[in-house]
This record gives sequence, C-alpha cells and structure tokens, in this order.
Amino acid sequence: MISIDELTFTYGDGSFRLRIPRLTLEAGRSAVIVGPSGSGKTTLLHLIAGILHGAGGNITVGDTQVHRLNDKERRLFRLQNVGLVFQDFQLIDYLNVMDNVLLPCRIHPSVSVTSELRDRAEALLNSVRMAEFRRRSVTRLSQGERQRVAICRALLLSPQIVLADEPTGNLDPENADKIVRLLLAETTRSGATLVMVTHDHSLLPHFDQVIPFAPFLERTVEGHA
Amino acid sequence: MKNALYLAWKSLLWHRGRSLTILLSLAITIWLPVTVRLVLDQFRREISLRANATPLILGAKGSRIDLALHAMYFSATPPADTTMAEVESINDSSLGIAIPLHVRYRTQSRPGIDGAMIVGTAPEYFEFRKLEVADGRMMTLLGECLVGCNVAARMKVRPDDSLLSAPRNAFNLAGDYPLKMNVVGILAPSHSPDDDAVFTDVRTTWVIDGIGHGHQELNTQTDPQLLLKNAAKDTIIASAAVLPYTEITAANIDSFHFHGDPATFPLTAIIVVPASEKARTQILGRYASSQSTSQCLKPPDVIDELLSIVFRIEQLAWVCSFAAGIVTLLLLGLVVNLSMRLRAAEMLTMFRLGCSRRTIAMLHVSEIAILLLSASVIAAGAALVMRQFSADVLQSQLF
Repeated sequence: MISIDELTFTYGDGSFRLRIPRLTLEAGRSAVIVGPSGSGKTTLLHLIAGILHGAGGNITVGDTQVHRLNDKERRLFRLQNVGLVFQDFQLIDYLNVMDNVLLPCRIHPSVSVTSELRDRAEALLNSVRMAEFRRRSVTRLSQGERQRVAICRALLLSPQIVLADEPTGNLDPENADKIVRLLLAETTRSGATLVMVTHDHSLLPHFDQVIPFAPFLERTVEGHA
Repeated sequence: MKNALYLAWKSLLWHRGRSLTILLSLAITIWLPVTVRLVLDQFRREISLRANATPLILGAKGSRIDLALHAMYFSATPPADTTMAEVESINDSSLGIAIPLHVRYRTQSRPGIDGAMIVGTAPEYFEFRKLEVADGRMMTLLGECLVGCNVAARMKVRPDDSLLSAPRNAFNLAGDYPLKMNVVGILAPSHSPDDDAVFTDVRTTWVIDGIGHGHQELNTQTDPQLLLKNAAKDTIIASAAVLPYTEITAANIDSFHFHGDPATFPLTAIIVVPASEKARTQILGRYASSQSTSQCLKPPDVIDELLSIVFRIEQLAWVCSFAAGIVTLLLLGLVVNLSMRLRAAEMLTMFRLGCSRRTIAMLHVSEIAILLLSASVIAAGAALVMRQFSADVLQSQLF
C-alpha cells in the first residue's frame, strides 16, 4: 500500500508548490493519475520513488517510510521496491535488449547478475514476446518494442510498486492500449501496485482507481508535468 | 567494479569511432616518449658496447668523433689519411697490435640496393672482432673479399660470386677503376656494423685506389680490337674495348705490384690493441704531443661526448612529448566533458533507477581506465617492436 499524508513539495524558487493532504493507493491495485500539464504528476511519482525528497509530510510504501530515508537508503529502496517506466523509455542505446533488462543489476553493488535473474529476464522477455530479440540492439526496435523492454526492466527485481510516467505518450492508440494491458497484466501477475500518469482519458477504464491531480497543485509553472 | 567495467566496455564498443580516436591519441602520446627512451637506451648500449670493445683508435688529426665513428662504424670519412708507417711503428715497438683500416670505397649499387662499404684491413681484424666465416673460406689472395651477412642477404651474394667496387669520382679518368673482387666467404652474423660491410685485404683497397695495379698484356692479347695503335715499339695505345675494370685472376695476379714506399700507403684509421695497460698509456702518450700529425683516441671517451649530444636531443624529445601529453590530456578532458553532457539523459536514467553518483563516476573512470590501459599496452607493444628495428635504423641514419 502507498500512503501519503500532508505531503508538501516546493521547487527551489518557490514558484511551484505541491500539497497532498491525503492519498492512499491499495497494494496490488492499479491507479491512474490524470491532470493538466505542469500539475506535478511526475513530481509525485518521483516523490514516491524517493528520487525527490518532500519538504514535509509522510510517504509510506508498504512498511517503508520513504520520507525518513537518506539518499543512499532511498536509492536502495528504489532499486528493490520500485519499477520505473518512462515516457521516452530511456533505454541505454549501447546495450542490447537483454542487457537493458538486466541494467538494474549492474548499477548497484547490492544486486548482481545471477543465473536466476537471467532466467527471470528471459521469462519477462518471453512474456512480452521479445525473447527472440534478446541480442538485438534497442536502437533497432520499434517504439512499442522498446516500451515492452522498458517494462521488463521495471519488473525485473519484482518491485512492490511500478510507477509509469506517461508510458504511452509516444505510442499510437493501438500500441498504447496494448502497452497498458501489458503493464496491468504483468503487475497483476507479480502482485505489484501500478501507478500510472497519463493524459489519455481513453485508458482510464482499465484502472481500479482514477486520481484527478489538479486539486493538489497550489501554483504551477510551465514545464513541470 | 566488474559491472562498471562491463558497461564501460559496452559503451566504448558502441561509440567505437570516438573510442578509437581517443585510444590512438593516447597510444601515440604514450608511445612517443617510451619509444624515444627505449631506442636511445638500446642505441646507447650498442654504441657503448662497440666503443668498449675497441681499445684505441689511431688516425690523422681532425674530428675525434668522425675518426671514432669511422673506425667503429665505417662511416664519416676522416678529412685526412694516416699511413702504413704508423702501423709498422706500433707493431715494431711491440706495444700492441695495429690493425689497418682503409675504408673509402663502396661496392657498386644495384637497382634498389645500395652498395656496401669496402673495408680494407688485415686478417687480425677478424680475430680481434671475433668474426667467423659462416660459408666459404677466409680470404687469402689479393682481390678476394669476405661479405657481411646483411650485405650477402641484401645483394644475394654467395661464395664464388663477384662484387665490383664503385669509383669514388666518375670524372677522375686517371684514378680508381672498378675492381672486380671475388667473394670467397660470407661472415656469420655478429649484430654489428661488420654485418653491413665487405672486407678485403688492405692491399686490395690500394689496388682500387690506383696505388697497386697489374698490367693487361695488350701486345699479347688475343683480341686485336683491344689495340688501338701500336705507334712505336714501346708505345701502345689501348682501345675503348679494354675492360673498364680491373680483375685479379690467377693468371694475372703475379703482374700486380705497388709503386712507392709501402710506409707511405694511405690508411683511413688504425685500431690499436695494446699489449698491456702500460703499453696503452705509452701509446696514448706518444700521440698526445701537439707536434704529432696523428691522434690516438679512447673510443669510450669519444662516444661519451657523442652521447652527451644525444642526451640533449633526448631531453628536447621529452619536453616535446610532455607538451604533446598535456595537449592530449586537455583534449581528453574536453571529450570526456562533452561526452558526459551528451550522456546526461543516460546518467539521469541510471540515477533514477537507483545508481549512485559514485557509481556513475565509476562508469566514466572505467571508460578512461580501459582506454588508458589499452593505449598503454598498444604503446608498449609498438615501442618494443620499434626497439627491435629502430636502433639499427637510427644507427644507420646517424652515422
């Protein structure tokens, strides 16, 4: 479960201020956050993931009080508990499909590439029908294929929560629908909580919970979305 | 660390053009000073070895370095000659053994192959330098020669072949005719300048010099075309059909003779092997006088003078290499800085996934480390290969 209580966040110059009095997302459920550009949806995902640190309030993910963690602990928490999917996929060009999926194992000393993780990566790629491309450069994949690789990367370490920041933003409606269904299927299979940010209202019926975000924003500055 | 190296390696492979450029720049920057040091060390070792193996050098007064290099490397002909009288003087005094050297002529060049220096000397030279005949036999007669192994390989010469000397001056009609020398043996490799020379008896070089000669019996020649005009009983005018070189054969060897006092016959240098340390001092003392027209050198001292010049050149090379290294490092810094900016999104992704800034720095450091290590290995390999060849090249270029 993700629980947020009296969370506040302000960017350096004070022109952007986010305040969330109370927000609860049930474990194993799916939630979608909708709202206008610059309302702080991505900021919220970053606060939950521990990428950003709030000015005040509490964020609890499962048993972890994220707001109490220091930088090192937040990174480990993020690696072990949070799967991140980005709008522009953010795959590493110089790594092939398999190496991109295994990337979380190569960037933190607490995790290493084991045969079990290789098998899991293989299984994940197989589940999204990308196993045959495991040795292919990600630069030679279509947008939809790249996003499927990004989802496999997010799910590799069996995270408690998957945070997807407009993962369908660069996809056509057909592929967007496929990706959302894939995300839901994979998170349901692994029992993870899915929190997705989107502008696409046609995707809302797929989710258990819809969170309109506009009320949380006290003042906006263009560019924060 | 293993993962950082893996990611760094993948990144370098992906950006292979950039990586190769940096790698080559670094390799050349490292290679240059290392090679200069290795080659000059090798050069120093070899030239010192040769100098230490040559007790004393006697020759006409003039450039000490030229005389020493001439006697040891058969190059840099001294401006003036010494004479056979000096050899006889040393030998008669029992102070040591004097080995004459007459190095003035080369063999004729062949297309694409330069001629080799002809070293006129005495049989003692081979014993002194511990040179052995690998194929054929030692020279015994006038007109015979022994060929250094490199010359033999380069000119494809074997025993029973012949070599022609090259005239020093094509316009000197009265002077040195080419001499056809009979190759009687090939010397075993000695990894010294002796491998690049053709050895003959000093008297043979005097024949080339025109001091000694044989007479071709034109008045009894079977070929009447050789005789242009038999003007009078004792006057014969030869035709252009007379061979333009001299060849010493079993049939004409007895007709060869020298005009003048043998003591005045020219030599370009003399190697002196003193009988003892005392004799060495005596010989040096004999030629230390300012009235003497000859000088006696201790080759190691002369080579030290030469090496001090080389040392100054080496220092200059070091300064240049250091400047080149600074420039390369600055450019490397610029490339790394630009690369970090270009890869900012990639690093941000890694950070968001849970990577620490220290690990991200490790990725960059790993890339630089791999490039530096690879460049060092390439540079060291290239320097070692260069050392094998360049010492000889440097030696031949310098002398």
